[in-house]
Amino acid sequence: MKSRIQSLTLITLVFSFLFLSIAACSTGPEEPSTLIYGLTLAPTGIDPHLNASSELGIPLHSVYDTLVFLNPDTGKFVPGLADNWTISPDGLTYTFTLRRDVIFHDGTPFNAQAVLANLDRIRDPDNHSQKAVFMLGPLEEVEIIDDYTVAIHLSEPYAPLLDSLSDVYLGMASPTAFETWGPAEYQFHQVGTGPYRLVEYIPNDRLTLDRNPDYAWAPSIYLQPQADIENIIFRFYEDSSTRALALESGEIDIIGEVPPHDATRLSVDADFTLYPVSIPGQPMQFFFNTQLPPTDDAIVRRALIHAVDRSYAVNTVFGVYSVVAHSPFSASAFNLESQDLILDYDPTRAEALLEATGWTAEDGDGIRSKNNIPLELRIVSPPWGSNSEIAQLIRADWETIGARVILEVAPGFGPLKQAQTQGEYHAIGINFFGTDPDLLRSFFSSNGLYNWTGFADPEQDQLLLQAAQTSLDPEERLRLYQQFVSDVQEEALLLPIRFYVNLIVANKRVEGLHFSAQGWYPILIDLRITH
Amino acid sequence: MEGLLTAWAAVSLTFFALRVVAGDPVASLLSQGLASPEQVESLRRSLGLDAPLLIQYLRFLRGFLRGDLGVSLYTGRPVSVVIAEQLPATIVLALTGLSLAIFFGLCLGVTAAWKEHSAAGRLAARVAGLATALPVAFTGVISLLLYRYILQFFPSISIIASRRLLLPATVLGFASAGAIARVVQAGLVESMRSPYMLAARARGIGRGVRLLWHALRPALPPATSLSALEAAYLFAGTVVTETVFSRPGLGRLLVNSILQGDYPIAQGVVALAALFYTASHIIADILAFLIDPRLRRTA
Repeated sequence: MKSRIQSLTLITLVFSFLFLSIAACSTGPEEPSTLIYGLTLAPTGIDPHLNASSELGIPLHSVYDTLVFLNPDTGKFVPGLADNWTISPDGLTYTFTLRRDVIFHDGTPFNAQAVLANLDRIRDPDNHSQKAVFMLGPLEEVEIIDDYTVAIHLSEPYAPLLDSLSDVYLGMASPTAFETWGPAEYQFHQVGTGPYRLVEYIPNDRLTLDRNPDYAWAPSIYLQPQADIENIIFRFYEDSSTRALALESGEIDIIGEVPPHDATRLSVDADFTLYPVSIPGQPMQFFFNTQLPPTDDAIVRRALIHAVDRSYAVNTVFGVYSVVAHSPFSASAFNLESQDLILDYDPTRAEALLEATGWTAEDGDGIRSKNNIPLELRIVSPPWGSNSEIAQLIRADWETIGARVILEVAPGFGPLKQAQTQGEYHAIGINFFGTDPDLLRSFFSSNGLYNWTGFADPEQDQLLLQAAQTSLDPEERLRLYQQFVSDVQEEALLLPIRFYVNLIVANKRVEGLHFSAQGWYPILIDLRITH
Repeated sequence: MEGLLTAWAAVSLTFFALRVVAGDPVASLLSQGLASPEQVESLRRSLGLDAPLLIQYLRFLRGFLRGDLGVSLYTGRPVSVVIAEQLPATIVLALTGLSLAIFFGLCLGVTAAWKEHSAAGRLAARVAGLATALPVAFTGVISLLLYRYILQFFPSISIIASRRLLLPATVLGFASAGAIARVVQAGLVESMRSPYMLAARARGIGRGVRLLWHALRPALPPATSLSALEAAYLFAGTVVTETVFSRPGLGRLLVNSILQGDYPIAQGVVALAALFYTASHIIADILAFLIDPRLRRTA
């Protein structure tokens, strides 16, 4: 018997020592130019042509170059792998002249054939692209004019094309690499032309990038011609409460999506710097269902907007880093934050509007009713991005003006879509990211895939289509979207909450951190480590 | 055989439950708002998700019986490959956790029994009770906070207390240690009261020797069976631990595949868990048989 206890103890001890020694090896002194970057989500797939996660671009934006880049400060497109480009007067043909000095990390030369192979790969229906293929819009044909000139033909004008081509999802990959590995395994062996090379990717564990010493074609949005830091290791921190801890224990140098209370604390810490970065796209917003009473009545919708103290809600949930949103879209080149028709917090006005439309609280139970139907509202929200916290505050405000509110959390995107199909909701809360306002078409045209408002107006459809096709005149395009935004406000289709602000915290030893126009992607080439 | 049946039941339940709870996987796949309704339909067709549910289920079952778990909806990679990638990390964590659970469990149980009437014994019993009661999500975050606090004073400790394995394994082991400690303590107390212990005492054998030499042995079989069963519950613990400690592994794979609607992966992980669960029951029986000579005699 004794021997059994002894051996048990021995085994336990041996195990402990074994793991201790492994631990000792893995946390040895770091190379001076290694940076550890914390990611907040471990994507299921990280092939930008085929997968859709916004997290994948954080490392891969620096592995790939795009034909053009979007300057985050000016909202203008600048040359990338294409030296210059022309758009035909009918907006149907985009001709790109390519750089001649570019080679992929595996030695394959970059040319017109490579562009064609990339676009073919994205459009191959067997590859089931989840995002890139839709970003190409009505692409009809890719024509090789000569080795370094390529023309993209569209079946109808499509203004977002350049924006799409500036995003990592349409980054140029080495045809040799993706033909060797096939669609399922290429994600582990990605080869681009960017300032960093993908060395290793182990799902849920880490992703490693190495500096590309041959990089000589940096676009003007990069400040340095070559990367400074030798290698960058990305690790995944999905539990938001552990992110600040990981920074403070020195396990990582940078991480995004730090919870506001941690960000506030770290912003005054001498060892860290907080970078609040606005992400372009749609704000977190609640879409009113115009197909279901009582939110089918625009006056009720107005009353519901007036009833919500949005500054309080945003401050409570997101801290001082976010401001209240007023429009359905914002990006550097498309500032649609119109101030004309803002429905401010005004509960008295909200109650007056409800009274005026016949929603009265006469039976003494505190719940308003009209024709004996109680004012009952069902809010559906996803569990991510503090949507449900905001929904709780909205409920409190709506209850104050005499509504009964039911909150429902839809556990994923599938159930949210299901709620749309079934139509049993009055408001759905969600947000989407993007740099081009054509995103709005999916949400506000009658046959849009995500028409959560159920609003159908041929004039509005026409306006959105026209805006999508105004390729040659950005000013005119902006005007059309401004028109659209005031229509949406007039109809009170939305309760916008706030535009997403990514709270990124970095160790003070990291310098030069700035971000691409898409907001999510750090410009890794410009990072430096000070000692 | 029984294991396969359990696996079948678990996987079938998962198959239907996921489709009810997680909704349309194509909606998740194309959740970027850029596809048109026609494009969504065409993707659904090419993934075979347009077929009636029963047909999908039969197709899935046919594959499952052949050992083919299908491919991920997101990446087209075989489910078996994706699981095999994450399996080692979970096994290492669970085994370390289990070793620590047995170690803590024995220590706490023996202390609680030995010092039954003193403060140390009561403390050990309390700790064992807490270990059972506190959820891993809570102890995990607390341990991280403690870890950071200790790190402030002893920076070099980071080499010893590896955050990536030892800390999560400790948290995981602690959660299972409570139950083991309880069983060990109860067994010890019971056998200490038996007549042969009185005889041993009469022969002048010290309390410590009696406890660890004579009383522990009859207390071990239930503790061993429990440990083997705890191994199965450890898997559930890894789901939380892996997330809190940012470790790779099956637990996180399962959670993410459910959230993203990647059904084939979720089904694969559940099938494996069901098999593992059955296997650990069988192992528990075998261990009990090996340790307890009485079982051998009757067999």
